[in-house]
Amino acid sequence: MTAPVFTSRHRRAIFFVLVVLFGVQSAITYTTATTVSDARATYNEAATRGADLYRAFNCTACHQFYGLGGYMGPDLTNVTSAAGKGPDFAKGIILHGTQRMPAPGITPPQADDIVAFLNAVDATGTYPIRHIDLTPWGTYRSMHEDSR
Amino acid sequence: MRTPADRDPAKLFLLAGLLALWCGALFGVIGAWQHVIPGVVDAISFVKSRPLHVSLVVAWIFLGAVGGVYHYLPRLTGVALHAPKLARWHLGIFIGTGLLIIASYLAGRFGGREYWEFPPVLGIPIAVGWLLLVYNFFRTAAKRKGPWPAYLWMWATGIVFFLLTFAEAHLYLLPGFSGNAVRDLTVQWKAYGALTGSWNMLVYGTSMVVMERISGDTRPALSRTAFLLFALGFTNLLFGWAHHIYPVPAASWLRILAYAISMTEWLLLVRMIRAWRGTLDAGLKQRHSLPHRFLFASEVWVFINLGLALLISIPAINLFTHGTHITVAHAMGSTIGINTTILFASVFFIAGGMLTRSARAGFWIFNSSLLLFWLCLVGAGMVKGWLTVTTDMAFQPIMDKAWPFIAGFAVSGIGLFIGLTLLVRHAAKALLSFRTAEIESTSQP
Repeated sequence: MTAPVFTSRHRRAIFFVLVVLFGVQSAITYTTATTVSDARATYNEAATRGADLYRAFNCTACHQFYGLGGYMGPDLTNVTSAAGKGPDFAKGIILHGTQRMPAPGITPPQADDIVAFLNAVDATGTYPIRHIDLTPWGTYRSMHEDSR
Repeated sequence: MRTPADRDPAKLFLLAGLLALWCGALFGVIGAWQHVIPGVVDAISFVKSRPLHVSLVVAWIFLGAVGGVYHYLPRLTGVALHAPKLARWHLGIFIGTGLLIIASYLAGRFGGREYWEFPPVLGIPIAVGWLLLVYNFFRTAAKRKGPWPAYLWMWATGIVFFLLTFAEAHLYLLPGFSGNAVRDLTVQWKAYGALTGSWNMLVYGTSMVVMERISGDTRPALSRTAFLLFALGFTNLLFGWAHHIYPVPAASWLRILAYAISMTEWLLLVRMIRAWRGTLDAGLKQRHSLPHRFLFASEVWVFINLGLALLISIPAINLFTHGTHITVAHAMGSTIGINTTILFASVFFIAGGMLTRSARAGFWIFNSSLLLFWLCLVGAGMVKGWLTVTTDMAFQPIMDKAWPFIAGFAVSGIGLFIGLTLLVRHAAKALLSFRTAEIESTSQP
């Protein structure tokens, strides 16, 4: 009788190798794979406070960054640099709300911190991607661009 | 008089899970209508109803899957659960923490993360309770003689990786892990992508066990195919997460790797298509059995969702679908269509629920409403995705164009809730009348 191609020992070895590779990939993801080239994208003190406030008010229930988050409100990745919007526009909405978004009860200094956070997010890149330049591999060119 | 059956941890887990599912579905209906008509329910805001819905449905998946593990493990190993008392402690901690999470939402205190979020301090008891499961599982499973079938590997992997990814989801609390939005988003979706893979391991392992217990054939779970499928799922759990973040400017190799890994799942789809005739014949033959019925429905939902997942994992298509309701369709199809139907199959297999008229009605209302719900989400996503990428239209005018689909999604959500109510009621009645006193002393491998 021939031996099976994969014994329990082989299975354990494959499992172990996959877990080790996962550990390596995680370490790189936490460090060099997620650095940002633009210094403005690194959170300063105000942006760090703004990020905390963004979480505390659960803004992600309705809003997105890079298409990740809730679906009730618009994506905020570039809200502070988009034509016709900007930091003052963002601050006004944060303070007073809109017809569809009730005013969340944020104070003006808190709104400044959230705007600082939004500015830092804005400096990381652009979303949505509108310059559609597809490759034969089913990807798009800007997906391959890497400033690291 | 209280009997040991009244304190059976598996039964209590499943009953608590059914209650969480029903409440989660109710908040889902409220949230869906708030999405269509803002302010329609004033008593609770959308920022509260959304996490209530998500957390309760996630709780159902964990309670249903873990309850199944506690129930089946003694039967698969031939020995009693190592420490039933610790399992009851696990349940108590999980429910207690769940109530605190609900109270924190109602008080306006959030974790603010996407999507299973709560004040991070409440993650500590959840992890402690989970450690009790780790201890109980490995002490009990170690007593099994012979090689482990694929479902024990799946459960073991799901249990361990839940803990790892749950810890990873809280790394943002440490300095250096949230210093920029790219890292914050990438690590967040890495953790939650793999966390979802972990609970899928628990649920798919349960599906394999139910099939084995029904057929009495132990060979499929020890076959090379079963282990290849496990390896495929595990590789996707570890390295496929970055298909959630194609537009995020993290290192491009992360995203290309995830694309390549995700495409390996075409093997699953091709295998399903090739086996489809046999699956259909078996499903039709066994349609009078509730567990079979739900397992067959889960196969259909796996097929539909896997097809969608594969398409939206192709970056050129993802460019249009990312951040739209198509992603929601995929999430709902997976958690309701696949996970919930498998867990219902497991609950009905354990409790032996009969195919009554109300169970049949519940089954059909549930599945037909879910299909309409899913199609409406796909429709809304197509409108939003196309107009967002190809035009400069603002968010609200785009959503106005998608409104008919979103209204259809909210209406079908009511149907889904009615179907779920009938099924939850039937399952809870079956569980309450089910006696498990003999399990601990007469378990068989």
